[in-house]
Amino acid sequence: MNFDMTKPIPDMQPWSAGFWEGTREGKLLIQTCGDCGSKIFYPRKYCPECWSGNLGWMQASGNAKIFSFSTAYSMVEPKFMDELPYTVAYVDLDEGIRMMTRIVECDPADIKIGMEVEVTFFQRGDFYLPYFRPAKK
Amino acid sequence: MSKGNIAIIGIGEVPTGTYPERKPWDIIYETCMEAVRDSGLHKNDIEGVVAVAPQAQPRLSAEISFGKLPEELGLKGCKDTVICNAGGASTSNCLRMAEHWIENGIARAVLIPHVTVHSTIPIPELVNFFAQAGVDLQWEYPFGSTYNIIMGLIANRYMHETGCTAEEMASVVTALRSWASRDPNSIFYKKDVPSVEKVLSSELLNSPLHKRESNVLGDGGCAMVVVSAEDAKKMKRPAAYKLGESVRYFSGSPVLRDFRKVGEGFKSTAKEAMAQAGIRKEDVSIWNIYLAYPLAHPIMAEALEVAPPGQAGKYFLQGRMSFGGDIPWSTIGDAVGRGHTGSGVSAATYVETARQLMGRAGERQVKNCRYVYQNTSGGSGFNVIATIWGREVK
Ligand SMILES: [Zn+2]
Repeated sequence: MNFDMTKPIPDMQPWSAGFWEGTREGKLLIQTCGDCGSKIFYPRKYCPECWSGNLGWMQASGNAKIFSFSTAYSMVEPKFMDELPYTVAYVDLDEGIRMMTRIVECDPADIKIGMEVEVTFFQRGDFYLPYFRPAKK
Repeated sequence: MSKGNIAIIGIGEVPTGTYPERKPWDIIYETCMEAVRDSGLHKNDIEGVVAVAPQAQPRLSAEISFGKLPEELGLKGCKDTVICNAGGASTSNCLRMAEHWIENGIARAVLIPHVTVHSTIPIPELVNFFAQAGVDLQWEYPFGSTYNIIMGLIANRYMHETGCTAEEMASVVTALRSWASRDPNSIFYKKDVPSVEKVLSSELLNSPLHKRESNVLGDGGCAMVVVSAEDAKKMKRPAAYKLGESVRYFSGSPVLRDFRKVGEGFKSTAKEAMAQAGIRKEDVSIWNIYLAYPLAHPIMAEALEVAPPGQAGKYFLQGRMSFGGDIPWSTIGDAVGRGHTGSGVSAATYVETARQLMGRAGERQVKNCRYVYQNTSGGSGFNVIATIWGREVK
């Protein structure tokens, strides 16, 4: 069977280019609205709260807490099989944004809901995906 | 919003299974002809066809979208046809479209068919379709998420918040399969009902989801004939009347789905649909739940106030939602019991709702079945549609 084994890169939109640009410099950026002050995730063309086009970026601390996670052992797409086991998580940034990510640099058995984590960037092609690892106190 | 405007008066269904030799159109013929015959109408009485979009089958979707079905079946009285796609919520939208056509005199009788043949889709295509459907291709898919993982994220959080145990979660499968083993249209008809131990001894796919807590893909199809409530009454035949409906949209991407809002949405839509139908929670004979994954059922049971907060897992483990229990629940066993036919499980759930209200559910027949709550949900759970059906209109 011919499975597409290419690892997917983010389907970038013109208005999210700034986010991915930031990751190349080791920065986790949050889109902000200059008119209503909203912090926006994921980045949009116009503010989803007030439809303003006056949008900019702020740098996040990179600190977050795990809201939930699931460690995969099997039944993922063939293109991800070589990475098993891996842990996908929702993390809540200190800035009030929830992202999907991977939890890395630890034993999956040690991962807990509420655990403090920090951002680290993982290169795939020309992109740097924001992954998270246990926070170094 | 609707109250007592339409009724399902005919149903047809083929058993879910793996039939690579069976063409989709073969299933369409069988189910549609059975449903029309069952309704007591003539084929030329069908004035509209509103089809459930078959997921992952682009050629069939195109054929149905562009009007082939009435021609193939020789529905000479057909005035129009359309396809509805909202994933698992497609069938609910077919019923809404039928209602609109019936209310506005566009059609007096509407046929709603669904067919899915998974077994002839090349596996790489199928795997890729289900990996990308309902998740964001920029913010979720690159991290290696799958439907199973999305469900794992929901279940892990629920278990963390409520203390629901792995055994309790596994017992949902036992409950759902207890209904499925008595359903001639299930892929697990007459098969052993797995015990909690057996579910938990199956492979851990991704925490906390075991293989037996995930779905087996199947081929299948069904059809319904819908007319106005007034016409249904005149026909003096067993029918299922749509009495109430309410809906909430949550989010397209799972990561943006606020878990609290989802629970609140499950709760409010049920209350609103029941209020519209003029019934109370205690009047509901069957909670016909469609969620695709067993691990989400305890969340739904608590939102519906069928079980107290944090207690739904115990209810399932005690067998209260199983066949013979005191809370008739998902009487085809949802996707894990029926076999997963794409958007077809929700269509099959409506057929079951009608079957129970018509008093024709055989061994699974719930005694004195008067009102059924039925929900659907699309994509990875972007919405919830709650409906109330009754065997008569007040
Ligand atoms: Zn704004």
